[in-house]
Amino acid sequence: MRRVLLLAVAASLAAGTAAYAHHSYAATYDVTREVKLEGKLVQFVYRNPHSFVHISVADDKGVQQRWAVEWSGTTQLGNSGVNKETLKVGDDVVIMGRPSRVPGEYRALMLTLKRKSDGFAWGSPGQQVD
Amino acid sequence: MHKRLAALAATTFAAAAIAAIVAPLSAQPPRPANPTDIAGEWTLTNNEEDTTAQPPLGDYLGIPFNAAGRQRADTTAESIWGTPEYQCRPHSAPHQWRGLGGARILKEQDPLTRDVRAYHVQFMRSLDWPIFMDGRPHPPAWAPHSWTGFSTGQWIGNTLKVTTTHLKDGYLKRGGPQTSDMYSMTDYITRHDEILTIVTVVDDPVYQDEPYVESTTYTIDLTSNVAMETCNGSSFAENGGTDRHHVPHFLPGQNTALTEWLKKDDWIPVEPTRGGANTIYPEYKSGATKFPASRSAVSAEKDIQAQSPRDGQVHVLPVQGNIYMIVADGTNITVSMGADGVMLVNSGSAAMSEKVLAAVNQLASSAVTPPAPNTCFGAACPSAWGWASPYMNAVISSPAPPKPIRYIINTSAASEHVGGNEKLATAGFFPRGGGFGSAVSSVGREASIVAHENVLNRLSTPAGPGAKPAPAAAQPTDTYFDEFHKLPEYFNGEAVILYGAPRANTDGDSLVFFRHSEVISAGNIFSTISYPAIDLEKGGGIQGVIDGLNRILDLAVAEYRGQGGTWIIPGRGRLSDTADVASYRNMVTIIRDRVKDLAGKGLTLQQVKAARPTMDFDGRYASAAAGTWTADSFVEAVYRSLQEKK
Repeated sequence: MRRVLLLAVAASLAAGTAAYAHHSYAATYDVTREVKLEGKLVQFVYRNPHSFVHISVADDKGVQQRWAVEWSGTTQLGNSGVNKETLKVGDDVVIMGRPSRVPGEYRALMLTLKRKSDGFAWGSPGQQVD
Repeated sequence: MHKRLAALAATTFAAAAIAAIVAPLSAQPPRPANPTDIAGEWTLTNNEEDTTAQPPLGDYLGIPFNAAGRQRADTTAESIWGTPEYQCRPHSAPHQWRGLGGARILKEQDPLTRDVRAYHVQFMRSLDWPIFMDGRPHPPAWAPHSWTGFSTGQWIGNTLKVTTTHLKDGYLKRGGPQTSDMYSMTDYITRHDEILTIVTVVDDPVYQDEPYVESTTYTIDLTSNVAMETCNGSSFAENGGTDRHHVPHFLPGQNTALTEWLKKDDWIPVEPTRGGANTIYPEYKSGATKFPASRSAVSAEKDIQAQSPRDGQVHVLPVQGNIYMIVADGTNITVSMGADGVMLVNSGSAAMSEKVLAAVNQLASSAVTPPAPNTCFGAACPSAWGWASPYMNAVISSPAPPKPIRYIINTSAASEHVGGNEKLATAGFFPRGGGFGSAVSSVGREASIVAHENVLNRLSTPAGPGAKPAPAAAQPTDTYFDEFHKLPEYFNGEAVILYGAPRANTDGDSLVFFRHSEVISAGNIFSTISYPAIDLEKGGGIQGVIDGLNRILDLAVAEYRGQGGTWIIPGRGRLSDTADVASYRNMVTIIRDRVKDLAGKGLTLQQVKAARPTMDFDGRYASAAAGTWTADSFVEAVYRSLQEKK
């Protein structure tokens, strides 16, 4: 299994100040928990101050739910080799993320992303992608 | 000193500092001949507590919260910034001095005298913030609020005192502590050589027991350039899911993150972290039980009442395009004025008809047929009629009469909105019937009254013993029963569309959209002075109100940074925009969710009322201005309409 450890985006996700809009990661997401999301990518919004990946994930009843996974800004992603062409609609991806603090909300903060088709992987600082 | 204690000390110091500044006010020194120049590029100096960053969730140290402010902060979810209406907002005014990116202060001069007419302050995440120095008054209470508010400046010695009103609701600090839209802000800006000290006083009578005071320091920076962060937000909800109307919030007691930070800073007792006026005084630490009082200088109740004054008078506020807002004894009437004549959305109370008609006629005369000097005379402008110079005709003619009232649209059958129908419709004219108009004298002599058909039903056949129908001339002449109703042709050069709001305040509510002027007249679905008055007996319901508010948000588009653009005229209260409607929608949704949660746990109506699910909004929407529609009335309506749904 390919293991990737990326450190290039430390400034963005660890400190969380450079790409701040109004909200903080720590206030929005529960940094003590993780959620695993597996599904098809339906939208990739590559933008500042934060990018977003939308994926469609089946919930425990089998109903597809649209998740918004918050990612870094374009500068930070660019520095780690991610550009707007990196991900395509329809990609099968596995995402590990921090869930929202609000119960029942379909949003998460990106920790790791892996594409099944070619093994492309991205991880936030200190995160291993399995 | 540890940072937390430093925070308390800093606040205390700031309070003392502001007292020192305010003290000389009783004998204000004259305006200095050459006040210190505060213009330039300034860099934020990170030497105050919480500068640029934000306190952890649940850290309210130094904030003089009242119970409502504390609950509002506890139940606020940071995810709200993912909703479409929030993504492009700038920092709230109290945080701007603390935001990243520095500050630029520009001077706007009078070209003749070179007096400073206004300062303009800009931050990375702000709109331009003008501070008027020319002595102009603050706008009336029914004028809209904005992110920067309306500011006037006055030199007090070497200090510029900036008084800001008309601010939107927002956050005192990021991550929880909120402000209402009834706060005022006073900045004291003092320059000492290359240092700029700003002492900010935030006075929010809805959420604070005392004004909140903080200081911020900047240094001059000859090489900095305050960047402009554009908004790249989009209309999709960043919170995921498929509900663009999702309102993130925590139910009371549900937010478990409030004490997370104390696991690390476990030497801090919990009580002062919850804020409160007592906790900001040095005596608190020594166990004192009596503290000096410094109450808010602002009366929320008085200011809310002023948005909708029951003064027996008519006030006119130009809005946008063809549209004006008339505040008639506290009830809003929307007026479209133009070449086709006058359209009113709602007619006010019967008692105000004469004054409303006078105001509309005066407006029609000045807006549509303004007196103008003749510009066509002599050989360059031959008369088409051949018998007189147009010059002569213009001089000897009196102005054309004002255009007539052609339409009255009723957003509901509420008496304060249909009371003037008879008088105003009779004074109007609608060319109904074309060439047959002269055959029947009553046809075409009144303005057309348009409404949902349930308004007609209610006015023509009112329920209840002894209830009498409204006079025929007061009843709608054109009704609709569908999802929406388009006027068949442009009026004053634009489309006018009525959207039905089923089961909202009643079963006959409409929103009226002026599609070119970008104005929505919301009727009673939206009020800035009270909770929505839901009449269950007349077919109203909580979900219909929420759906109606969401319909407004779907139609409306902000101009820039989440404000302006489409203007929304409430049934009562100040002129508003998408941000204001979003805040109101959020409040209504949050209370709906709380009541639903309590009812779901088996609580009776009385128990739900006792739990006070509206507590953090009562200071804003259950003041005396709301009249007989109390918090309990609203909770009961929500509770019962949720029961009906089952």
